[in-house]
Amino acid sequence: MDLVLITGILAAGIRLGMPIALAAIGESVSERSGIFNIGIEGIMLSAAFVGAWGSAGTGSPWLGIVFAMVIGLLLAGFHALMVLVLGVNQFISGIGMVIFGLGFSSFAARLTIAAKPTSIPGLPAIDLGALSNIPFIGPILFGQSPLAFIALVLALAAGWVINRTAFGLEIRACGEGDEVARALAVPVNARRTACILFGGLTAGLGGAYLSVVQVHAFVENMVAGRGFLAVACVMLGRRRPFIAFLASLGFGIAEATQIRLQTIYPDLPYQFLVILPYLAAIVALVIGHRNVERSA
Amino acid sequence: MITTRVIRLGLIVGFAALVPAVFVLLAGQSPWRVLTTLVLYAFGPQGWSEVLVHAIPLTLIGLGVAFALRAGLFNIGGDGQFIAGTVVSVFFAPYFGGLGLVGLLAFLTCGFIGGAALGALVGYLRERFNASEIIVTIMLNYVAVQMVSYLIRGPMADPMPFWPRSYMIPPDCILPVLVPGTRLHAGLIVALAMVIVFAIIQHRTVFGFQSLVLGANPGAAIYAGFRVKALTVLVMAVSGGLGGLAGAVEVGGLYQRIVDNMGEGFGLAGIAVALIARLEPIAIPFAACLFGIFFAGGGALQRELALPFPLVWIVEATVIFAVAALHWALPDRKAAA
Amino acid sequence: MIPFLEARGLTKAYGQLRANDDVSFSILPGEIVGIVGENGAGKSTLVKMLGGAIEPDSGSIYISGERVTMRSPADATKAGISLVHQHFKLIDSLTVEENLVLGRPELRHGILNFKALRSGFEGVAKDLGTSLQYDARVSTLSVGGRQQIELVRALFHEPRLLILDEPTAVLPPTERERLLCLIRRLKERGMAAILISHKLDDLYDCCDRAVVMRAGRVVGSSDLRSDDRGQLVRLIVGEELPPPEVRRGTRGAPLVSVRELVVRRDNGTVAVDRGSFDLHAGEIIGLCGVEGNGQTELMHALAGMRAIEAGEIVYALGKQTAVKCDAASLRQAGVAHIPEDRLHHAVVPSFTLTMNWFLRKLSERGLVSFGFLQRLSAAKATHEAIAINDVRASGPRARMSDLSGGNQQKFVIGRELGEGVSVILAGHPTRGLDIRTVAVIRNRLVAERARGVAILLLSADLSEVWDLADRVMVMARGKLRGPVPVGETSLAEIGHWMTTP
Repeated sequence: MDLVLITGILAAGIRLGMPIALAAIGESVSERSGIFNIGIEGIMLSAAFVGAWGSAGTGSPWLGIVFAMVIGLLLAGFHALMVLVLGVNQFISGIGMVIFGLGFSSFAARLTIAAKPTSIPGLPAIDLGALSNIPFIGPILFGQSPLAFIALVLALAAGWVINRTAFGLEIRACGEGDEVARALAVPVNARRTACILFGGLTAGLGGAYLSVVQVHAFVENMVAGRGFLAVACVMLGRRRPFIAFLASLGFGIAEATQIRLQTIYPDLPYQFLVILPYLAAIVALVIGHRNVERSA
Repeated sequence: MITTRVIRLGLIVGFAALVPAVFVLLAGQSPWRVLTTLVLYAFGPQGWSEVLVHAIPLTLIGLGVAFALRAGLFNIGGDGQFIAGTVVSVFFAPYFGGLGLVGLLAFLTCGFIGGAALGALVGYLRERFNASEIIVTIMLNYVAVQMVSYLIRGPMADPMPFWPRSYMIPPDCILPVLVPGTRLHAGLIVALAMVIVFAIIQHRTVFGFQSLVLGANPGAAIYAGFRVKALTVLVMAVSGGLGGLAGAVEVGGLYQRIVDNMGEGFGLAGIAVALIARLEPIAIPFAACLFGIFFAGGGALQRELALPFPLVWIVEATVIFAVAALHWALPDRKAAA
Repeated sequence: MIPFLEARGLTKAYGQLRANDDVSFSILPGEIVGIVGENGAGKSTLVKMLGGAIEPDSGSIYISGERVTMRSPADATKAGISLVHQHFKLIDSLTVEENLVLGRPELRHGILNFKALRSGFEGVAKDLGTSLQYDARVSTLSVGGRQQIELVRALFHEPRLLILDEPTAVLPPTERERLLCLIRRLKERGMAAILISHKLDDLYDCCDRAVVMRAGRVVGSSDLRSDDRGQLVRLIVGEELPPPEVRRGTRGAPLVSVRELVVRRDNGTVAVDRGSFDLHAGEIIGLCGVEGNGQTELMHALAGMRAIEAGEIVYALGKQTAVKCDAASLRQAGVAHIPEDRLHHAVVPSFTLTMNWFLRKLSERGLVSFGFLQRLSAAKATHEAIAINDVRASGPRARMSDLSGGNQQKFVIGRELGEGVSVILAGHPTRGLDIRTVAVIRNRLVAERARGVAILLLSADLSEVWDLADRVMVMARGKLRGPVPVGETSLAEIGHWMTTP
């Protein structure tokens, strides 16, 4: 097979998978503490809009990303309030969050940045000089945006904290046996809140990546199920942040492949290719069923 | 304590009123004007029929979501099941021309079957492979949207398309209009009939009882010897079937063909309807009418006050949170989900 | 000598219910005091107060003469009190060392250096005469092994008072011996101990004296030397129990035949390893074993709740010799099942009593016709059953979760037993219930046996098995031993079988 093609697919795949990966990192920590947030789709949408709007408004993509993280924290905090304090079913709260994200992002977009042509400054890819020119590895690993490296660091750090620190042990206790954890004076709600907030933070980063870094625009409903794919990746990765991160990149590669295939086979109706990542998620869940942990 | 209850209730109601109001204000409009516009439209001569028109598919999908949820199953695939219903019913529609009422019933049944097939698949994957029905239904939604997009531009396309759409269904499959001058069609009868049917099924039949046990205490279902795997698949099939029926009804009553984005958002709205109705079949049409007011009214708000339609989604989300939080204020004896 | 701990007038009420009412007692350093009483006497509330989990409404606690207020388990630890819980506070999917650290809040900070932590725990473990597998998952350990983790946790800071809550409830005889030995050894070092139990043997084997609780109050004490056991029992129970019925039935034909049965758990391990036995009409077989050795899976397989991997179960009931092995058909054919896990299997707590009646009667012609529930008939039947079985409830429309455990169990028995039942599979039917209900249930089983019913009784209470059963069977690591007639064996032998596969 053509090396250039593969390189292109892998490099694009990592780029395309990054939003999912970012959301998956935080969601795996959240699920490790025992709380699902299927509303990250809505958080990502809201963050995509806020990131784009902030970026366009201030002229600085980094500021836009910060705004996106803030909205992620706020919305996740609301989810934590609903589930931990008011005792709302976590899936229902998640669905509400998804619907809110759909409404808020489209509503606000139509009133602001979509109302007139707006340019959204994007994040330039880091130029690592000679490193980026190494054939094959160069564009794949070193041609990515700074957020991608942040994502990698976050994934590894999250895994380390969970496994090697007392804080992480308490988080795992919350997820594996919360009754016992409470009896042993582990502040379960506090730990869970921290994890949910972290999930919101990374979902916010993921949404911002999509609009500010990848597409340089906000399109209504642009998250298109990536938030749910992130939840699927967490299941496949058995709630380990780094594995979920890798699984997400896998979906990114699936999507990059699908896009390339469209140009290679222009006679094939494009819809059949667009569905590939979604079908891949289902197939992955089925194949990995012996390894998947499911508490949904 | 009474005062705690009142305070909590007040907080919830306040939240439900405040959030949409804030967004209306941010858009530069007055919440009071929005409320009056909505009410005047919904109960006015043009609006009331539109409210019911929107309530019809929401009732059907809401019934399906509620039935599944009562059995402990989250069916988020309303959108996909709706589309499956439109596709299967329109696909077989040409064979039902000239068969009168029988043809119409066959048409609707095909819609039910289409959605049921999708639901059964989800149930099977869950039972056999432990695949989360939440993820699978959502993934299938996206797949269905793409597939129908292909079909109405390809194999099922209208011979003379002015925009992407399928061919038209024969006249026998069209649901007649109930009130001349409006769009209110006989799908209303179908919806109400299903409400009664499911109220009976849920509370009076063995099948309904078994699904309640499955949701309330899965261990008891095993102890009692229910065939849990088959039951799950059947419940998901029925739930999906209602979504498919909604699709056929929308085709038969409103569009007479499949067009792009027909049922967009009905799946999620159906969940909201089911939750507000506390999963009770009899309460579903009322909850559906409430959302019918939002959906039909949303169009009016967009036309008259330049408020983007997605405001309706914000309201919907707010209502979901408010209703879900109710049990925090009012300890509720018939806890459902 | 000043008592190490003195409780004066401790009172704790939950609404109308006085869980502890003016409880006073004291314990000297190096003394072992047993606190005994039946379920519901208030022992666990007292333990929670002494352990700092809850605060008394009134009354006070003195440690070495000084008044203390303990607002949290950490305060209790500071005061020198350590608690070994009845239901172990362990997380199965975590390792031993992770659970040890989790149980000691003062160790839970920063980066975890397990090597350093292990040496700390090793010291305590050696003292106890055990060694722990630090990186083993708790789910792989036996009950005794899990208790050891609790013990190491409790003894980590060298407490001056160790409180053990029902420590022998789930232990086989040999491990129980070891534990009691350990407590006596610690006593020699000047540590005081409180042993909470409802088993008299624990008191007589280990304690210096006993304090008796009933209905939240201290009703008496005993030196455990001179008093005769009968008097102690009367103190505990407060009155005479209904005399036990000892009508033995005549053993008839085998109704259930098990051959080379193999059953697996959900996680793939073998629970029942080629077991074979016959259950005859008119007999009670007692099934014993340390928890987790396959008894639950055996019962579930017999009841049609769990699939069989190999071997066969043949039910010879009435006309049909082979019955489809699913739970509903078995029930219809007359195999009753009282599950050991009432809340997760036997009833649906959120349903009404009438709806719970339907649970196992969906093929009964009077209650269901053409797939429709006949709710009026069911309500009537439920009403009758409640009356006959002395179920304290407001009526058929009461919610199951509003009933006490004993009443729930009486309802389950009323639903399961009756005409047409020829086999009863009873899983821990009296576990956790008050003495009166226990007596009623035992008498019912005996009466059923006299009618010719075959009963398999799974029980962790060896004295119960000895009282009721004709033959006894032991499961250890999935292997079945017996059944042997009760008269041909002894408690010691059974205990030995329970710990040696």
